Amino acid sequence: MPEDLHVTLSPRLSKLHDLSAMVEEFGDEHGLPVPKVFVVNLALDELITNAVTHGSFENASDPKIEVHLRVDHDTLILTIEDNGSMFDPTIDTEPDTESSLDRREVGGLGLHLVKSFADRVSYEFVGGKNRLTLEHDLKPASG
Amino acid sequence: MNIEVAEERDNGVLVLLPVGRLDSANARTFESIIMDHIGNGEQHLIVDFSRLAFISSSGMRVLLIAAKRLNASKGKLVLCEMQDHIHEVFHISGFDQIIPILDSRQSATAVF
Repeated sequence: MPEDLHVTLSPRLSKLHDLSAMVEEFGDEHGLPVPKVFVVNLALDELITNAVTHGSFENASDPKIEVHLRVDHDTLILTIEDNGSMFDPTIDTEPDTESSLDRREVGGLGLHLVKSFADRVSYEFVGGKNRLTLEHDLKPASG
Repeated sequence: MNIEVAEERDNGVLVLLPVGRLDSANARTFESIIMDHIGNGEQHLIVDFSRLAFISSSGMRVLLIAAKRLNASKGKLVLCEMQDHIHEVFHISGFDQIIPILDSRQSATAVF
């Protein structure tokens, strides 16, 4: 059985390339479909970018993001923990996805995409850390 | 971070082909490339996704800015050759309603 992926990284956008290569290797080892590997990398890009650009780590002495990716039966489970300031990404406003090109606002899409692709999303703040768990079903629901 | 962007001319229209990943680490570089072309007078632009494996909202933001800028000067941005899962991202975002997305390069050049 292939192993889980555990990575601890400092919150920097330059880490995203290496991280995505590790996720792709994990996908190969577990025989995951390309679109599932894509949504995991999309979630990591959006969430890490969000944390870095919104200054979540200004008060952290040793800023860290921990990524854990595993397959449990037919579910792909991504957990992201960080020791930045408390932020619940499950409660944000819906972005503008309908207005015309001229009026369309730039930005605010990232978290919407992450949540749209996940089958289940949960957030908790425990032990001074934000913990977000995203679950993706690997088989379509029957019936 | 750098991004490789191949450039071609197809029936006189400039075609940009970003290679690999277009993410938050290199979106600014891509933004400078595309905006430089628009600043230099390109009115019609195709971004061909055939060599792109990954895009996040940071990359999509650049395309939205470019489409707005071209639209304001009566120009046009057209996208083509997207893999299905990337097309899905554009659909969820509602971008497919405001930026033309064509299946093939041939149909993209036919827009102009």
